[in-house]
Amino acid sequence: MSQKYTFHVSGTHCASCKILIEDILNEQELVKNVQVNLERKTVDIETDNNQSISEIAQVLTDKIKANGYSLSVEKIISRSSIPTETERNNNVLWRAIPIGFMFLVLFFLLQKSGILNLGIGGKITPVTSFIIGLIASVSSCLAIVGGLVLSLSAKMSQDSKNDTKPFLLFHMGRLVSFAILGGVLGLVGSAIGINFIFTSLLGIFASLVMLILGLNLVGIFSKNKITLHSGIFQNLTSFFKKIEHKTLTPILIGFGTFFLPCGFTQSMQVIALSSGSFISGAFIMFAFALGTLPMLAFLSFGSTSFAHSKHAPLFFKSAGIVVIGFGIFAFLGGLAGLGIINPLFNI
Amino acid sequence: MNKTISIIITLALVVGIGIIFFGSFKSENNSNASTDGITTNSEIKNNIQYITINARGGYSPKVSMAKSGIPTKLIIKTNGTFDCSASLVIRSLGFRKILAQTGEEVIDIGIPKIGQPLQGICSMGMYNFLVKFI
Repeated sequence: MSQKYTFHVSGTHCASCKILIEDILNEQELVKNVQVNLERKTVDIETDNNQSISEIAQVLTDKIKANGYSLSVEKIISRSSIPTETERNNNVLWRAIPIGFMFLVLFFLLQKSGILNLGIGGKITPVTSFIIGLIASVSSCLAIVGGLVLSLSAKMSQDSKNDTKPFLLFHMGRLVSFAILGGVLGLVGSAIGINFIFTSLLGIFASLVMLILGLNLVGIFSKNKITLHSGIFQNLTSFFKKIEHKTLTPILIGFGTFFLPCGFTQSMQVIALSSGSFISGAFIMFAFALGTLPMLAFLSFGSTSFAHSKHAPLFFKSAGIVVIGFGIFAFLGGLAGLGIINPLFNI
Repeated sequence: MNKTISIIITLALVVGIGIIFFGSFKSENNSNASTDGITTNSEIKNNIQYITINARGGYSPKVSMAKSGIPTKLIIKTNGTFDCSASLVIRSLGFRKILAQTGEEVIDIGIPKIGQPLQGICSMGMYNFLVKFI
């Protein structure tokens, strides 16, 4: 005879947690049906097992403990739940920090190695601009464009359910706007220049977005929700939540990446500018954007698939560390580029 | 225990990043010291001093020495350069330009004075060069 129990669950921090917990518990023999309520932080379980309610809670907790969740019969009073949650967060964080730093070291080693500095001479055809796009997508431009994509994708996957539509829109918007803007550059010729100050300021803005989202992913802000309740970060987070599902936003961000400071993009823009016609300018920029697509697509769609795996908390925190690193790099570089501070590094 | 290992690995990685970012300065200074400040990247033709700097994947030499007090022109050489070093900013001259992929950009820097080094930087800020005038 089947019975229904309701347990209190702790450790649910994102929408995908519901899916994850339900997936794991559904695999258990003693569970016939499972329903997670994220708002009430409860798990309803239907079982025909005869064990006592607390024994079932213990057995099921063992299954989901590895992912940072636990079930209890009594609602854990918030006071005592704070240290356990912080402790769990810290444990994941201590694993995430070296992983994040590892990626940063590998990335900057790659830049330092000079592998990416192969000179491409001759006339630029769509084929060469595709290759340049491939190189650009792993160059230091990754720190700013890729960092922005990674932080936005990870944040969005953390906030929402399985929804790849914004990413598709972003990549479509990027490809189309690169083609159109490239065409315009080719058409207008040398009449317009790409404004250095504007790109630098946009780059600094992007790096600040990365820093905030990075800190958010690592979980710095979520720990002191109360103090930041009315702070700008909270407003910014809710702002992101509001806009991230609008159709236009991802397209606009894709469009905006055209103007982000990246040496490769700027070089290609100059080439498109001197190409002489709308068609050739459009082809050059489109092929370049297409070259950067594999890496950026990997970052955005990789984020969603990681976000729904059991490594989700570790992924979010590691991604946060990487994004913070990129953000600092882009921020200091941008300030130096504007001449506000002396250049601090030379990679 | 987990925490300790993590801290050790992180510290090692931080040191690694430090070497990547700041290590280059040391070797640059050493090589300059060994050549006694006489660099081969400047020459004087018809009373005009030309300083040549290569731009691709950064600028080289990163630090160079040149004479002060004579009309000087800076030549930035690009050779299939698409990276950030092609988008050059020299703030003291108000120079901001995305250089041609292959070619030479000649920049007139007037008559430099002692103790007023010239600094060029790429627009994203991760590559820079310095010309010191003696």
